[in-house]
Amino acid sequence: MQLVNQSKRMSKKAKNVSTAIAAASCALLGSSAQAEGDFWDFSKDWKFDTGFLYYGETDRVSAVEGVFSATHEPEFNDKFNFKVVLDSLTGASPSGAIAQPNSQTFTRPSGNGQYTAEAGEIPLDDTFRDTRLQMNAQWTKPAWENVTSSYGVHFSKEYDYLSLALNGSLAWDLNQKNSTFSAGLSYASDTYEPVGGIPDPLSSMVIDLGQFPTDQDFQDAFDATRIDSSDDRQTTDILLGWTQVINRSTIMQFNYSYSNVSGYLNDPFKVISLVDNGGIATDHIYENRPDSRTKHSFYWQTKHHFDESIMDVSVRYFTDDWGIKSQTVEYKHLFYIGDSSFIEPQFRYYSQTAADFYQPYLLDSAAVPEFASADIRLGEFTGVTLGLKYGWKTNAGNEMALRLSYYKQSAKDVLDSHPGVLNDLEIYPDMDAVFLQYTYSF
Amino acid sequence: MSYKKQNQIEITEQEHGFLGQFNAMASPCDCLVETDNLQQAKSIIELVANEAWRIEQKYSRYQDNNICYAINNSNGSRVAIDPETFGLLQFAQQCYDISDGMFDLTSGVLRRVWSFKPNASFPSREKVEQLLPLIGWNKIKFDKDSLILQPEMEIDFGGIGKEYAVDKAAQLVIEQFPDISVLINFGGDLRVTHAPVKRPYWQVGVDSQLAQLEKSIRLSIGAICTSGDTERYLIHNGKRYGHILNPTTGYPIKNAPHTVTVIADHCLQAGLLATLAMLHGPKAESFLSDQSVKFYCQR
Repeated sequence: MQLVNQSKRMSKKAKNVSTAIAAASCALLGSSAQAEGDFWDFSKDWKFDTGFLYYGETDRVSAVEGVFSATHEPEFNDKFNFKVVLDSLTGASPSGAIAQPNSQTFTRPSGNGQYTAEAGEIPLDDTFRDTRLQMNAQWTKPAWENVTSSYGVHFSKEYDYLSLALNGSLAWDLNQKNSTFSAGLSYASDTYEPVGGIPDPLSSMVIDLGQFPTDQDFQDAFDATRIDSSDDRQTTDILLGWTQVINRSTIMQFNYSYSNVSGYLNDPFKVISLVDNGGIATDHIYENRPDSRTKHSFYWQTKHHFDESIMDVSVRYFTDDWGIKSQTVEYKHLFYIGDSSFIEPQFRYYSQTAADFYQPYLLDSAAVPEFASADIRLGEFTGVTLGLKYGWKTNAGNEMALRLSYYKQSAKDVLDSHPGVLNDLEIYPDMDAVFLQYTYSF
Repeated sequence: MSYKKQNQIEITEQEHGFLGQFNAMASPCDCLVETDNLQQAKSIIELVANEAWRIEQKYSRYQDNNICYAINNSNGSRVAIDPETFGLLQFAQQCYDISDGMFDLTSGVLRRVWSFKPNASFPSREKVEQLLPLIGWNKIKFDKDSLILQPEMEIDFGGIGKEYAVDKAAQLVIEQFPDISVLINFGGDLRVTHAPVKRPYWQVGVDSQLAQLEKSIRLSIGAICTSGDTERYLIHNGKRYGHILNPTTGYPIKNAPHTVTVIADHCLQAGLLATLAMLHGPKAESFLSDQSVKFYCQR
């Protein structure tokens, strides 16, 4: 009897459940309308990034750089970015001249004053001092359906150097935005106006070792090696890119870039030494490079998101008509630590072959070739970078990161043998450098 | 990219607006906003995500610094509660009363013996019966300022937490962006705040193998919740036991549907009706037919 009643009561009640639950839900949701979330202010369309970089080569160049970037993004894919970079370089850089068993004296690129290299030391031009201001403005806008356009202007000014550039690109989103194809074009015009003028390629460096009766005589001899006060170059770049979403956690990118530079491509501060059969330097002549260069670069990058980390692998292959071929392999892996910080180790390996006209020195018994440079950047070398980045979020939700990396560059000998005293001397400048970078986004 | 760190939101552009994805309450969460304005979408998605994370932080039983932990570790002493918690307790009380004790937030202690992971074992009768004295919402004493829970008993807000979070987030959206259609989906508990403008309805995929749900449910406004055991069940002596437990016996409900999907105004309503239908076992369909709501049962 009791059981029957119970069951009846239940089924009768059941019919009213929906209304009762609705009333209870409304009571709960109405009862505690709290103001949580009000302090979140999302009205800002602007985002700012700042950065500070210190770069130091052991005993050589050091640089400090400040970056300020502002991005205005009122709509998805509608973006304006303005960036200012200011860097300052000081220190010494290899002049290209060969080390000798005795000390050597050289004329500064400006013609004003001299620098010396101690016995056995690779000559370093110690007048490397410059401040560079770069400004960049870039607009990105939807062009038409599934196509985004981007265009920008770039301005870069150093004391003796001016660069102006324009760029434009289009990006097509295909197959539900899982693929993006992009094509871009940029054009830059650079003007060099070094203090002391443009040296006549392959002419001898005039060095005042007491042979000039007056300062004017030296100046006249120096001026005779100058062909102009300034020169310029033009660069055209074409970039083709393909970005492919492989699955929900993997993305891949392929880039091909073509670059053509023509005009004044020498470094007006670099010389190459002529040595005799005993390895003794008899002359230092200003370098000469071809007046055009065509480069091709192929790049592949893959990012894979694991549960608690992100892997980033990239490979670059580069080749140009100066005979340089290079490979770069980079591996970065970002690990999250808790909810608001991460650590990212970085490993990068770079190797390149020398340009056809690269020589650490020339033999004075042989004819001087049409093109010659002893700039180690055109030589054969490998570079290894080891780095660690630590990033964290402040209480206010802004992001900070600190990156410390170490770079070691080791040259390879491009010659089978060396004459006389050069067998006991360091021929190729090696390099160690440290980067310390701090970034803050707000 | 699907990868989402805790407290990280990923926003992608979709055909009809923007989709924000994040993780909360151990579930993947989606927030679809019908707008062309990225900033507006961002504001809404962050509003929704922050509300989900706030409620998770406050009521998750996996954390040891919240009100849920304070209650469950009070060992019989009086615990101070805030108005929001009082509201939830009142709601739980009403659900307990309405269901004649079948919906009981203290039944979570049964988790100590029941596991519905693959290869989990079937607990002995003795072990199950030992826990029954620790179950019973009527043993809890609370008023608007404080609560007393018997030692060893537990309250698990998980039974209503996700539904509550969806409704709270929806409420914030409706208050601040009354004209925007926003679809909020926290791990299958779903609500639309306003009818979409550019299309007649949202297409909502539901975790069910029913033929009539193959193409998904069309929803212009309201809530959809699904209760079910498609993944969480035990096979014992050839019989299938779903994860919905009867708080009075301590055993899984027999002959319950595999899934129950209910459409209602709020997630709290839809979720509770779906759970109560499961608790009705073989009578789930007849229970739901009496509720004048749209529903789908998969047997």
